[in-house]
Amino acid sequence: MKKLLLVTALLAALPLAAQAEEEKVLNLYNWTEYMPKEVLKAFTKETGIKVKESNYAATEEMYSKLKAGGGGYDLVVPSTYFVQRMAREGLLEPLDHAKLPNLKNVDPKFLDKPFDPGNKYSVPYLMSHVGIVVDGGKVDVSSLKSWLDLWKPEFKGKVLLMDTARETFAVVQKALGYSANDTDPKHIEAAFNKLKELVPSVKLFNGESPKVSFIQGEVSIGIAWNGEAFMGSQEKKSLTYVYPQEGVVLAMDTMAIPKGAKHPENAHKFLDFIMRPEIAAKISETLGYATLNAEAVKLLPKKLASNRIVYPTDEDLKNSELLEDIPTETQGLYEKYWSELKVGKKVKGG
Amino acid sequence: MSDHALFKRVAIGTIAVWLLLFAFAPNLMVVIASFLTRGESEFLVWTPTTDAYARMLDPLYLHVFWNSFYLSAMTTLLCLVIGYPFAYLIARANPAVRPYLLLLVIIPFWTSSLVRTYAMIVILNTNGLLNTLLQSLGLIDEPLELLYTDGAVIAGLVYTLLPFMVLPLYAAIEKLDWRLVEAARDLGARKVRTFASVIIPLTSPGIVAGCMLVFLPGLGMFYVADFLGGSKTTLIGNLIQRQFLSARDWPFGSAASVTLTIVMGLMIGLYLLAAKRANAKVEV
Repeated sequence: MKKLLLVTALLAALPLAAQAEEEKVLNLYNWTEYMPKEVLKAFTKETGIKVKESNYAATEEMYSKLKAGGGGYDLVVPSTYFVQRMAREGLLEPLDHAKLPNLKNVDPKFLDKPFDPGNKYSVPYLMSHVGIVVDGGKVDVSSLKSWLDLWKPEFKGKVLLMDTARETFAVVQKALGYSANDTDPKHIEAAFNKLKELVPSVKLFNGESPKVSFIQGEVSIGIAWNGEAFMGSQEKKSLTYVYPQEGVVLAMDTMAIPKGAKHPENAHKFLDFIMRPEIAAKISETLGYATLNAEAVKLLPKKLASNRIVYPTDEDLKNSELLEDIPTETQGLYEKYWSELKVGKKVKGG
Repeated sequence: MSDHALFKRVAIGTIAVWLLLFAFAPNLMVVIASFLTRGESEFLVWTPTTDAYARMLDPLYLHVFWNSFYLSAMTTLLCLVIGYPFAYLIARANPAVRPYLLLLVIIPFWTSSLVRTYAMIVILNTNGLLNTLLQSLGLIDEPLELLYTDGAVIAGLVYTLLPFMVLPLYAAIEKLDWRLVEAARDLGARKVRTFASVIIPLTSPGIVAGCMLVFLPGLGMFYVADFLGGSKTTLIGNLIQRQFLSARDWPFGSAASVTLTIVMGLMIGLYLLAAKRANAKVEV
C-alpha cells in the first residue's frame, strides 16, 4: 500500500517536473490600468519570468476573444459572472491549490462563492461596485438616500449613466425592489419603463471614463463604478460616492487561467505572488480598488483603509448584490431595450 | 516570360490574394453568419434561418437606420453649403496660390480624426474654450449647453468630413469650361440663372461625388456621435458593434452589417447612374 502511494506521488510529480522546464514568459490579458508596473517588475526580478501584458476595455471583449479560440494567454481577469460562464463552457483551466499557498491570505468572505464553488477556477483579485457618484459641490449629498433620488426633477440634464446595459439594468432592478440578477422579462420591462423616465435627465452616457465628465463639470450626479469616484476625487475634491439604501451592485474581478494556456506553471507562480499581503496591498494602494486579501488590508495606509469609497463598511454594503451570469436571451433583451432607450431619446422627423 | 509580364503577374496576384483573404473571405463569413442562429454557449449554431433579417424589420431598428441617415444627410447638406463656395473660391484663386490653399484643406488630415474629435470636446464643453471666450466677451452669462447635443454631433461630422466635399468640388469647378459661362452671360442670363442653369449642372459630378464621399463615411462614424453626442443616439455602427461585443448576437450583428453594405451599394449604384447621366448631358 505504501509503495502504491509512493508511486502515485511520483506520478503526480511527473507533470511538475515537465512544467519546470516552462519558458520564462507569462502572457497576461488584463483590464486597462489594472496591474501596477512595479508589481510586474518585482515579479520578473524575483522569478526571471517576463510578463507580457495585453489589455481590454470590457470583459465581453476578453470573453469573445477566448471563445473565438484566439489569444495564447496564460492569465485573464474575468469578473465573477464571467467566471461562471467561462468555466461552464470549458474555457478555464482548473487551478492547483497546492501551488497557491497564499490563497490563505484572502478574506474567506470572498472565497467559495456560488460563481466558483471551492475556487476551482479563479482567485479573487479586486472588488468594485456601482453606486451613485456625485459632485458634492453641486448636490447636497446628505439628501441622497435611494437610487430613486436620481429621478428627481432637479437633476434634469445633469445625470451621467454608464454605457453598459447590464450594470445599469441591475441598478434599476434593485431600485424597483427586484434582484440585480432577475431574469423575469416582466421585471426587466418594468425596469426599462422606469429607465425611460430617467433618460430625459441624462446628459451623457460614458462608460469609458465617467470621472472625466465629472471633473469637467458636465454632470453632477450619476451611476458609475466606485473607482471612478475615488480616482476622480484625487483631482476634484468635491467628488464623492453614495451607497443607496437599496444596495450597490457588486462586481468582483478574479484571475483565472484560460484552457490550453502554455505557461500554467508561471501563471500559478504569478497568482501566488500577487496574493502575498505586501504585493496585494501595493496593488490596492496604486489602483485605488479594494483588495480582497485580508492580510493585505492590515498593511494598508490608514488614509486608504478608511476611505469609504474604496473600502465600504458592512453597513454600506447592506442589500448589495453580486452580479451573476445571465442567459444570452436576457443579455439580448437588455441590449434591445438599451437601443430602444437611446432611439426614443431622439425622434426627429422620423 | 519577360520581366514585365512576371512583374504584372506578381503584382496582380498579390493584390488578388490579399483581397481574397482579407476582404472577400471575411465578408463572406459575415454573410454566412447572418443566416445562422445564436446559441446559449456558442456564438453561432449551424441552423440556417432568416430570423436575423426578420428581426431587422422591427420599427426600432428602422429607427436606428433613420437616425444614422438623418445625421449623415444633415452633415452632407451642410458640407455642400459650406464647401461649394469654398471650393469655388479656391478654383478661381490665382493659380500660384491654389496649391497652398489646397494644402490648408488637407493639413487637418495629418492628425487622427479621433484626436480632432477630442479637441472638439475641449472647445465645446461647459467650461471649454468657446464658452469661456463668449463669457469673457460678455455675450453670455451662463455657459451654453453645446456639448452632447445633436448640433455638436453634426458640427463634428462636418468638421471631419468637409475636405471630402471640397476636394471633388474643386476638381469639378477647376475643370469647368468658363467659355460656357461667358456664353450664358452673353446670351443675357443673370448671375443666378447662370449659376443654376450652367455652373451647377456642369459641376454636378463633383457635387454627387462629394456628397457620396461625405454621406457614406458619415454613416459609419459612430464614434463622433459617441464622443460629441454623449452616446445618446444609437447609430448603425453602435448597433453592430454592440451585437458582437455585448449582446453576443453575431447573426443579428452580421445581418445589420450586410444590410448596411447593400444600402451603401445601392447608393453607389445611384451615384454611378447619376454620373453617367451628367456626363451624357454634358456631351450633348
